[in-house]
Amino acid sequence: MTLFSLNNLTVDVPGRRLLHEVSLNLPAGRMIALIGHNGSGKSTLLKALARQIPATGDIRFEDRPLPDWSARDYARRLAFLPQTTPPAEGMLVRELVALGRYPWHGALGRFGPQDEAAVAGAMQECGVTRFADRLVDTLSGGERQRVWLAMMVAQQASTLLLDEPISALDIAHAVEVLQLVRHMCHSQNRSAVIVLHDVNMAARYCDHIVALKGGRVALQGTPDDLMTPAALHDIYALQMEILARPDGSQVAVPA
Amino acid sequence: MTRARLPLLLALTAALALALTGRYAVMQLPPGLWPALPLDADGMSVDQILLAFGTLPRGVIALLAGAALGLSGALLQIVLRNPVADPTTLGISSGAQLALVLATILAPDLLALGRWPIALSGAGLATALVLAVGARRAFAPVTMVITGMLVGMTASAIATAVTLSQGQYLLSLVIWNGGSLVQQDWSGVATLALLLAVGALAAALLARPLRVLSLGIAGAAGLGVNVAAVRLAAVCVAVVLAAGVSAELGLIGFVGLAAPALARTLGARTIPQRLALSPLIGALILSLCDGLVLTLAGAGGEMFPTGALTGLIGGPLLIWLLPRLRGSTPPGTEAAEGPAPRLSRPLPLLGALVAALVVLALVLVWIGRVPGGWAILDAQSFADFLPMRLPRLIAAAAAGAALALAGAVLQRLTANPLASPEVLGVSGGASLGFAAVIYLVTGPGAALLYGGTIAGGVVALLLVALYVLRRDMPTERILLAGIAVSAFASAVLSAIMAAGDAKSWVILAWLSGSSAAVTLPGALGLGAVALALWLAALGGRRWLALLPLGTGVAGALGLPLRLARLLLIVLAGIATGAATILVGPLSFVGLMAPHMARRLGLARPEHHLSGAALIGALLMLTADFGARMAGFPYELPLGLFASLIGAPWLLWLLMRSK
Repeated sequence: MTLFSLNNLTVDVPGRRLLHEVSLNLPAGRMIALIGHNGSGKSTLLKALARQIPATGDIRFEDRPLPDWSARDYARRLAFLPQTTPPAEGMLVRELVALGRYPWHGALGRFGPQDEAAVAGAMQECGVTRFADRLVDTLSGGERQRVWLAMMVAQQASTLLLDEPISALDIAHAVEVLQLVRHMCHSQNRSAVIVLHDVNMAARYCDHIVALKGGRVALQGTPDDLMTPAALHDIYALQMEILARPDGSQVAVPA
Repeated sequence: MTRARLPLLLALTAALALALTGRYAVMQLPPGLWPALPLDADGMSVDQILLAFGTLPRGVIALLAGAALGLSGALLQIVLRNPVADPTTLGISSGAQLALVLATILAPDLLALGRWPIALSGAGLATALVLAVGARRAFAPVTMVITGMLVGMTASAIATAVTLSQGQYLLSLVIWNGGSLVQQDWSGVATLALLLAVGALAAALLARPLRVLSLGIAGAAGLGVNVAAVRLAAVCVAVVLAAGVSAELGLIGFVGLAAPALARTLGARTIPQRLALSPLIGALILSLCDGLVLTLAGAGGEMFPTGALTGLIGGPLLIWLLPRLRGSTPPGTEAAEGPAPRLSRPLPLLGALVAALVVLALVLVWIGRVPGGWAILDAQSFADFLPMRLPRLIAAAAAGAALALAGAVLQRLTANPLASPEVLGVSGGASLGFAAVIYLVTGPGAALLYGGTIAGGVVALLLVALYVLRRDMPTERILLAGIAVSAFASAVLSAIMAAGDAKSWVILAWLSGSSAAVTLPGALGLGAVALALWLAALGGRRWLALLPLGTGVAGALGLPLRLARLLLIVLAGIATGAATILVGPLSFVGLMAPHMARRLGLARPEHHLSGAALIGALLMLTADFGARMAGFPYELPLGLFASLIGAPWLLWLLMRSK
């Protein structure tokens, strides 16, 4: 099944074209990495998928054109996390997670037992239950990122879009977050599209790779397809060497 | 615009300006009778003297003042890296104006030293204030303009009150406030020419360091520039230029904004180009405006000051410039202060606020000032006084609550702690509506005045709402649209004031706000409106929880952004308009109450809104009591009294370090 199908997707800002007629199919139920050099258009592509920026061309999500989705229905199926999460002034962790229920109860609907259960379950899944009554802004970066992930889980969307979720985290927290997302995908049959900077992280944790270069698709395939000197040179214009580890996984380092 | 066309365009504008002023001069006196050089008053006819020492210096001073303002604006925009900075938007001119008004009334002897030192100290103080606030927020453009406009509005409000208290004597001051270019001799020209020469020299010396500074603080410091010194020098030059023009001519708004903006549009890219072209364009703008004023005036003397005409340019110009402001501040970076406490159980506090409100209302009915002291009413007097005091107590409390709700909604909507009803433009529009009724209808009744005020507010609100509906607009810029509407309204008002007849005093009195004339039905109506607004705001509490997280998160959760913004802006606009009728356009209650509620630990939207409304009601009751008692037996204007409490508190809050 196809999660997203893109046909001639183009994004322009005054004086520059960020995405050039991208046509692409993204598989469902996978953890998909969007990689590419700075300015390659990976964040732009993610924002276009999240309907955060206007784009021309055709995007279909779950075989339905994007304009046919109402804002709330879309938010029930798909959750988006921006690159920099805003400060949540004066908000408790459980209140922030409960905001994820907005697409379900709307502006005036009752916050019922179902919502309660979804919030509790989301905090459980992301391991933030013990912070429930702490202020969000007092948490560390890694903990805060998990709280935002919990908000997306509470949204009960089957697709998660994450814009560089680990760029501000140290290596331990980055691994923790990616493992959590991977677990969310594989155990609950969710799909995730993640913008990542680190090729090794992408290859290690994701099932499917989409690489952009100058606003065009440079590569689409498995991590094994990515981890070759030729493919990496094509994407980053840099000579890379692939080292094999004893367990068979591969690591790319600049040659 | 190609480079070849630029000189042509400038020449055409110059020719037009010259033709307009020249036409006036020729109408005044046929060229054959013009006095010969050197100008010598002895032996001239009256007409010749009018031309030689009135019209000619006026034409020259328009050029000089325009150039000085253009240069001042260009320097400010470059050094603050803010395309909407200018002496008007940063409150510099209003500071100079307030200092001159105060000196004229309180210490006329000081004026013997000349207007310059006074204007300069006022302008300097205002600038220092705005910059001190800005420095705590990394000189974020939007914050700078909001702070500058608030400082400017406060200065103007105080100046208005002082003018009001002194009656007709200060009418000439009002006209001066409007920025008239009328000249009696060549001394003003000589002063401004000297000022401009010094300013130009300083700007030339600063051009290169400023260019390095445009890399940003860290980059410039890395290249060995003394950032603080360059900034200070550039701002000082800009302030001296603006204060000089204020001292000579009064408030001439927005030339400093328009000239550098046009210079950039016409292709001035580098800093030396911008510094050179901006004064030239500024000179042409002011000259053209003055030519228009002279043409409209005919030979009979001018109908309104030139400053009012340039003010009219300001509003539309800001609207045009806003989408060109680069980048948006991510939510949260404009936060005013460190983390506020959060109460785990807010209901007792809300209950206490309700109790305080009831107690205060009772006390205020019961006690009062009598000649020679204070009195507590006995039962009979209580019954007599109640019908008189009750309406204004209800009305004041309702107005305070409505303003506080508007402020809380706007601050959450824009994630900017400086958002307030004052900058929404509704008050400005309402003032214009009021003024229009006063001028167009002879002896209007209260209903008609209310109607006009509401209509004016609604039109302003619609203008801002149109802006809100633009999809790609960062929320904080909605505030700037409101500021643009406010600027336009105040320009029109100052033009009206400059006419200086009895009607303008009615408007002036209304602008400072009074609750004396409230009837019981009116008060109850206002109370009902406040209650309805509170319920509506509670209905939007989930939006108000999501919106401070920014459009990215709110949109991703399926919040209908445009609809939510539009409804909330309309809600805030209605609240502001309803309260404005009673307290006038400025009070700061809408800014203060939400902050106080938050500092008391009310964090969730529903508690924050309710607490803000209660605190707003308390504040306004206190202000009403103070306005009645402070100047007993005379009443001070309510809105003015509220702003006198609010402004220092606000400044204290803004100056607190993070």
